[in-house]
Amino acid sequence: MPAVLRRGLAAAALLASAVAAQAAGPLAQALGTAPAPAAAATAVVETPQVRAELVAHAPEGLGPGKPMWLGLKLQHEPHWHTYWKNPGDSGLPTRLEWTLPPGVQLGPIDWPVPHRLRVGPLVNYGFEGELLLPVALSLPADWRGDSLEVSLRADWLVCKEECIPDGGDFRIRLPAQGALAAHRAAFEASWAQRPQAVAGAQAEARHQPAPAGAASAPVDDGHGPRAAPLDPGALALRIEGLPAGLQGRPIELYSEVEALIDHAAEPALRWTGGVLEAAWPLSPQRSSSPASLPVVLRVLPGPAGGEALLLRVEAALSGLPPVEAVELPPALQAALAGGAATPPPAEPVALSLALLLGALLGGAILNLMPCVFPVLSLKALALAQHGEDRRALVGGGLAYTAGVILSFLLLAGALLALRAAGEQLGWGFQLQSPAFIAGMAVLFTLIGLNLAGVFEIGGLLPAGLGGLRARHPRVDDALSGVLAVAVASPCTAPFMGAALGAAVALPTAQALLVFAMLGLGMALPYLLLSALPGLAKRLPRPGLWMVRFKVLMAFPMFATVVWLGWVLGLQTGVEGLVGLLGVLLALAFAAWAWATPWAGGLGRTVWRGLGLLLLAASLGWAWPGWQAGAGQGAALTAAAQPAVSADWQPWSAEKVVAARAAGQPVFVDFTAAWCVTCQYNKRTVLADAEVLAAMDGKRVLKLRADWTMRDAAITAELGRLGRSGVPVYVFFPGRAEAQPQLLSELPSREEVLQAVAAL
Amino acid sequence: MRRRHLSAALAVLSASALAWSLPAQAAPAAVGQPAPAFSLKDTTGRLVQLADFAGKTVVLEWTNPGCPFVRKHYSSGNLPAQQKAAGSAGVVWLTVNSTSPRHGDYLAPAALGDWMKAQGAAPAATLLDPDGVVGRAYGAKTTPQMVVIQPQGRLAYVGAVDSIASAKPEDIARATQHVPAVLAQLAEGRPASPAVTVPYGCSVKYD
Repeated sequence: MPAVLRRGLAAAALLASAVAAQAAGPLAQALGTAPAPAAAATAVVETPQVRAELVAHAPEGLGPGKPMWLGLKLQHEPHWHTYWKNPGDSGLPTRLEWTLPPGVQLGPIDWPVPHRLRVGPLVNYGFEGELLLPVALSLPADWRGDSLEVSLRADWLVCKEECIPDGGDFRIRLPAQGALAAHRAAFEASWAQRPQAVAGAQAEARHQPAPAGAASAPVDDGHGPRAAPLDPGALALRIEGLPAGLQGRPIELYSEVEALIDHAAEPALRWTGGVLEAAWPLSPQRSSSPASLPVVLRVLPGPAGGEALLLRVEAALSGLPPVEAVELPPALQAALAGGAATPPPAEPVALSLALLLGALLGGAILNLMPCVFPVLSLKALALAQHGEDRRALVGGGLAYTAGVILSFLLLAGALLALRAAGEQLGWGFQLQSPAFIAGMAVLFTLIGLNLAGVFEIGGLLPAGLGGLRARHPRVDDALSGVLAVAVASPCTAPFMGAALGAAVALPTAQALLVFAMLGLGMALPYLLLSALPGLAKRLPRPGLWMVRFKVLMAFPMFATVVWLGWVLGLQTGVEGLVGLLGVLLALAFAAWAWATPWAGGLGRTVWRGLGLLLLAASLGWAWPGWQAGAGQGAALTAAAQPAVSADWQPWSAEKVVAARAAGQPVFVDFTAAWCVTCQYNKRTVLADAEVLAAMDGKRVLKLRADWTMRDAAITAELGRLGRSGVPVYVFFPGRAEAQPQLLSELPSREEVLQAVAAL
Repeated sequence: MRRRHLSAALAVLSASALAWSLPAQAAPAAVGQPAPAFSLKDTTGRLVQLADFAGKTVVLEWTNPGCPFVRKHYSSGNLPAQQKAAGSAGVVWLTVNSTSPRHGDYLAPAALGDWMKAQGAAPAATLLDPDGVVGRAYGAKTTPQMVVIQPQGRLAYVGAVDSIASAKPEDIARATQHVPAVLAQLAEGRPASPAVTVPYGCSVKYD
């Protein structure tokens, strides 16, 4: 045969066999005989101790409402074992983490009954030989698909004498058509080892304290005398309603609860009139006091025969004393209490003139904040426009003041009311809501577009409303006051942190008075300008510059939108941010469509309708992203904040305690993405090379507490420090008994360096 | 037939009678109780007694260099750092190895000392408990496992190294390290909380 022909035949044969294999696969699946068609290389993980395989069982094929299971099959090498859900004295249960398409539901692991594995004086609960851990699977009612992809990360601890923590990543694709029954035998073997609930059985367990005097006699075992340990007693377990045929047969008991029972101690069993009673020794190092105890019984064949039974009862547990921490002797406790490093308690506050004046001053300073500046520039324009009209000026000033004070009262009232209702909130809480941030961004874009001349508010509003505005310019002034407060709130915390912390400790009415003074302080400069003609006269005359200035002011507005977008992005991820950008685009288009003077009635209607339609559609598209982001924000911000670097670790109360216990000082930066002052400090003083070097020199642990999203632990810690908003900077010295040291809200480099030197 | 029943019943009854009396065996010490006294040799042959440290806070740590969970906390530097920090805070840290000489993981005193040195460990002493008496008296089940004894000589804490039961070093950063937290609480005059946790790791290789 010529070589060419031979090669051609070989190729044809190869092709034919490939085609046959392709055709045979589905056919065999349909017959339920395919050897797990999905058994790609990733379905099996082999280690020197275990062969693990991800398998499925769906005798009727895949579909909603059909019986379906997934399972991890473990084949142990001889004498190696893995662990049950309660591993006993040591070991770890096998853990399964599934990745499935959305809507697909999994049940818990349907654990077979384990065996007692003795290791010296210890007892473990686990499995040798072949084991399958089944998990029931259910598909959503609307599931359609020709296959289902399943990924599993499994971790197990496999031990003989030594232990090897191991695991694997598995992936299989299950065809929807045809039965999956290749592993029927393994699943059925596993189910045969599953404990059965006993109909009508009743179980209870009561704590029986050890007899008095059990711990009295000291013992000497050659290692010096030592106190005989106290016997913690036993659980008196009673199970009624078991089948009568079980009497006299050997029974093994397994507790599903970890670290409760002394696993190595054999429970003593006896039958009293058809009731199984057991004295089950408790672990002296019990770590929980549960209210119920699920018990698994392995009933072995008795002297009279009978088949092995696996049963499960749930016993109500009573009389168990709580697991308590050691009481220190009273004398020592008193001695220690003197130097105990409890955080400074919020000092009792009395409403004083000083507090009110301080609030007034603090409010006035708010006008210097970058957040307030764009709004103030609007007010300056209004002042220049009103010109000589004294009455209009004073009226406008008063209305603006009223708007500011009212918003402060509303915000503070909401904060106090929510706090009284048990919510963990602090100043700036409204900025922790992605929807609020998005709303602010929309508002600022509108104002910016208005300033840039895309539309005039008068032209946009329906005639009635526009007229109202013209007739009641005071309403407009009051609303700009509200806006000023809303915009200012991210900046207010540094100047109000301490005052607010104190104010929330006051009776409600007095606290509200303090907030009103803050508002008055903030409105005061504008009120003075409008009330004093001498001052107003110094303002520049109206002219063309006003138009230019107005357009120029659009840019700080858009800059604010950029910043709000950054905050929203941290809160909700890139989805939420892109949603916002889409909404803003639609908004700009709608504003343009509405403000443009169209010649024809039909054209006008079409363009305006299109604008509204786009706006509605983009809102509908973006809204879920802003909602969904709220829940996972904490994790997102921790990951996304550039602030959390290798240098800075996320804050937790435990880390502070642990570091101080180890003699390491701690610095905590309480911050939030929406807090402008925090961002400024973070990029200046807290990034200063000299400051960082000084901290490293003292081995300071740098922690960042990110309050961008609601976080009860951080709110509570702020409360302990006597503050209610961010930023807060605090040094905890490495001695647990030393007081934490708070820095100011806008700390200078020297201030931080001094605090470091004092550690 | 009847006789078989009778003998079976008798066997069960006598077994039960025996079992009911079983809990009398010595149980390990529990939190709140006096710490069992001991005297053990360290890796250099020096005799160390718990009584030497009366009035001080003492940490006991069960170890076995053959156990992957122990290696997780040493190769990451976690336990050496805790030992140094405790030492500089005036706390006595004693590492105890209860591995039986009959077990493959057993290390001769010098080899154990070398291993500890290579890890940068800094306990006050590394003690050998080859017959497992001290391990059993304290109820040590796993390696690692921790005990904190407060200065008055009672057990303040018994349990795990930290709050995430795994062999992965990357979990250390996310976990609460129990002993430093307990030491901080004791230093502030507060009782330890949690006082008992479920220890995790390899089983102690007793006889």
